[in-house]
Amino acid sequence: MKRPVDRYIDSLLRRRRPRPFAPSEDDLALTRTAIALAAAGPDAAGPAPEFVEELRRKIGAQHAAAEAASANTALAAIPEPSRAVPARRRFLQATAVTAGAAAVGATADHLITRRPTGSAPAAESELTPVVGTWQTVATDADLPEGGVLSFNLSSVFGFVQRTSGRVQAVSGICTHQGCRLDLKTPSDELVCPCHGATFSLSGQPLSYPNSKYTVPPLPRLAVRVKEGSIQVYAPPPNPTADPTANSASWSGGTAST
Amino acid sequence: MRVAWRNDAQDTGLGEARGGARTPATATATAYPDWEAIYTDNVGRIYRLLFAKVGNRPDAEDLTSQVFLAALGPLRTTASVGEVRSYLLATTRTVLAAHWRRTLGHQVTVIDPAGIDLADFADPRGLHSELGRSDGGEYGQQDSEDAGHAAGQGSRSQAEHILAELPDQQRKILILRFLQGCSVKEAAAELGVTVANAKVLQHRALRRAAGLGLAPDKIKKGEAP
Repeated sequence: MKRPVDRYIDSLLRRRRPRPFAPSEDDLALTRTAIALAAAGPDAAGPAPEFVEELRRKIGAQHAAAEAASANTALAAIPEPSRAVPARRRFLQATAVTAGAAAVGATADHLITRRPTGSAPAAESELTPVVGTWQTVATDADLPEGGVLSFNLSSVFGFVQRTSGRVQAVSGICTHQGCRLDLKTPSDELVCPCHGATFSLSGQPLSYPNSKYTVPPLPRLAVRVKEGSIQVYAPPPNPTADPTANSASWSGGTAST
Repeated sequence: MRVAWRNDAQDTGLGEARGGARTPATATATAYPDWEAIYTDNVGRIYRLLFAKVGNRPDAEDLTSQVFLAALGPLRTTASVGEVRSYLLATTRTVLAAHWRRTLGHQVTVIDPAGIDLADFADPRGLHSELGRSDGGEYGQQDSEDAGHAAGQGSRSQAEHILAELPDQQRKILILRFLQGCSVKEAAAELGVTVANAKVLQHRALRRAAGLGLAPDKIKKGEAP
């Protein structure tokens, strides 16, 4: 009967994956010699083109996921290599991204160029405009404990809520493709009308119909209560009323490194 | 920098956003434009390095995947080619060590980052990847086909060193079987012996090679490029 080391060497010769076994010292010497010889064999020249492409695709998917997790807005949402995306879908993505970027008052260019090179802010880090003002979105009295309000500044759309006495604000733009989220009242979930992603009020992704994707959390917005007003720190309202022309730029909360 | 898809980057003119202001620290000053360039330029090198260490395609490809999936996350494309390659090499070494721990429980072969330069593992066939856009071969001066041959010859000279010690017939059967990929039948026909004889011959030859020569890794360290 064949010893495991012989089977191992056979596999090398058949250019197959060898099976693990518990080698003795002699077995190891044999295995090393066989590998040294096989290393000069026919498969040494290079990887199979199909393998190279498949791995490129995998890395691309991984990369896109990382991008999505690190970007703060709907800009993050391109989930796969766009070359694999049909033209119509690509168009939709592009418009969604534009819409999302416009909604937070920063164009994609600004987001990409202004962020410091070396850092990728975590998705749930606070979204703080570099140039912004505190803008009132509601009065303190409008928001009782447990209450949720949507607000729409010219540059930012989002939700404020008060839980355990604390006021929090999150962006109301879906991190998948930039659609505006709806507040579902009994369950207090934010639901995306486009693809059905749901988020908790603190911005954590709850579900996505297509489980292939993981949707990044919603960015939080800086919020404060001052003199009876609930204020969100956001780029100043643009006099031209064209949000895409807004010159404010943003940086993620951890981007200062 | 953060732009994942080369086409998008070019189409939207976001390409200028990449790169940043960091000056690469090492002598191989060129930086890769994006992760795809890193991948395209190095996937073959990592595969060939790993193939030399495990001797079979399925394992070499698996481990290559592991290296890139682990390495491309933390990698900044602002790093220079030299920095990227040392990082890939360090990752490859770890991945190979884990592979041997998992399979045979011994470090059958090792990668010594000090003794290996990924520049030596260029494609010996000279098929310079799809990166063969005009910027194809810019990542380091030694990326010529000659360097590729040097790497191929590293494995080859290692094999030759092992084979040199053997009697004629034994050397021949190992060449036919391992280097040329012949089946036992083909090798037997070539040598004019029966299949059973060829099997015994191969068995003895390998044992003799293993018992006689220096351990392949020592040879590798001494002579490999």
